[in-house]
Amino acid sequence: MAVLKVLNVHKSYKEKVLDGITLELRRGEALGIVGPNGCGKTTLLRIMAGLEVPDSGEVIREAERVGIVFQDNRLLPWKTLYQNIALGLKYMKLPASEIRERVMRYARELNLSEEELSLYPGKASGGMKKKAAIARSLALEPDVLLLDEPFTGLDVKTIDSLKGFLGEVVKEVSTVIVSHQLEDLLTLTERTYLLTHRPARVAYELNLSGKGLRERVNLVREALLHLIEEVDQDSNPQE
Amino acid sequence: MTLSYVLFLAGWQVASLGGLVPGPLTTLERVLSLKPGEVFSNLLRTLYNGVAGFSLSFLVSMTLSVLAQKNYVIRGVIRGLSEMFNSTSALVWSLVLVATLGVLNPLPPILVVSAVTAPHLLSAVTSAINSVDKGLVEAVRSLGASQFDEFMDVLLPSSVPILASASRVGIGTALRISVVAEAFGGGGGVGYMLMRSYNLADVEGVLAWSVILFLTVLAMDKLLAYLEGGARKWQS
Ligand SMILES: Nc1ncnc2c1ncn2[C@@H]1O[C@H](COP(=O)(O)OP(=O)(O)OP(=O)(O)O)[C@@H](O)[C@H]1O
Ligand SMILES: [Mg+2]
Repeated sequence: MAVLKVLNVHKSYKEKVLDGITLELRRGEALGIVGPNGCGKTTLLRIMAGLEVPDSGEVIREAERVGIVFQDNRLLPWKTLYQNIALGLKYMKLPASEIRERVMRYARELNLSEEELSLYPGKASGGMKKKAAIARSLALEPDVLLLDEPFTGLDVKTIDSLKGFLGEVVKEVSTVIVSHQLEDLLTLTERTYLLTHRPARVAYELNLSGKGLRERVNLVREALLHLIEEVDQDSNPQE
Repeated sequence: MTLSYVLFLAGWQVASLGGLVPGPLTTLERVLSLKPGEVFSNLLRTLYNGVAGFSLSFLVSMTLSVLAQKNYVIRGVIRGLSEMFNSTSALVWSLVLVATLGVLNPLPPILVVSAVTAPHLLSAVTSAINSVDKGLVEAVRSLGASQFDEFMDVLLPSSVPILASASRVGIGTALRISVVAEAFGGGGGVGYMLMRSYNLADVEGVLAWSVILFLTVLAMDKLLAYLEGGARKWQS
């Protein structure tokens, strides 16, 4: 059962970015999306979240609320981490006591201390900011969560604790994760879409459930290499 | 900073030795001999004119730049008007407005301040709007922000640094311009007192009121610089 469907979506800016993408996110699954730099993954997530309108094609959302965590976090620099996490709850006009309760709950789960919560993003570490950005989306209790490169720029220890946390999240929330870090990604996701170079099309849909981590990583890596070779052949026909 | 004041006061003292200008001490005595009530009410009038005129200009600039975002024809018209206003002297505005509205009308100083400060504010507000990070707008939208939330949480705070320094410069300008307009009216204010002393050939009086104006503009600037610092406390 799909909770979010993307049907033949096209999108161009100065040049064509998405070239007829069709995919679905099933209820309760953790879905991976992998593709070369600049191929249009972020654009695809923004379209899935309803923040960008496709030129043609359709997005069907069964979800009530879609949460998105941006590659660059996008925390408001003039608000503390606490205030950033509380933003969506404030917009929902929840009572102050409930806002506090929810912010503290997610902060605790993500290991953000009271002291860290009182920092402005300019003074917080990359790990704290990423955690705050994730808490900010989760605090709204979305039924679909879109994570854009959640592991980039984080140290090994932070990545491990984040993976532990997300491992629990994906049991309850249908999640899409975009990442170049295959090992980290594939620990969390089962089905994975591979996109081509820009303009992005779906090259492969790999169902990796029941396979071990090593095997998943190898399969995806091979498929990616295969994609890159195809591109090389396209651009150098004489070889 | 301190050195420049010492040099200025020394220069003033030397100039006064010839007996043409009253010296700094004489002027200070004169300032202190003014009736506190008179100083207070005229200062208040000038501050009121400056701040009211500036606020009016602030509101107008905000409205115009929001309109300018919507439509390029409006944008062109506003740019043209802005250039026109920018090329018109405070003295011209004062004479025209006092002549048309009357000497006793309290509006000319306020309107003159608005007319002169509006073009500067307008360009500050426009650049503030253009510098807003679209990614942050999108982020709060994804969290369910209304247009009002967007304005309060993103547009306003990201404009604060630009608007605060524009306001600081603007209010100083506003006070100095208000004085010009007051000089031609009968509504009181530091400018009115300056003109009255001048008409009575009271050089000491002119200097005394000038010193009062100078200190007020300086104090306002310090106060606004302090507030500006407070508004930026999130910047590391
Ligand atoms: N709002 C926009 N306006 C203009 N061009 C855009 C916009 N958003 C994306 N692009 C362009 O579309 C292309 C795809 O960008 P996108 O960020 O979606 O790629 P990506 O796959 O997420 O890349 P990365 O792996 O580096 O994160 C890029 O060439 C980018 O410059
Ligand atoms: Mg991206």
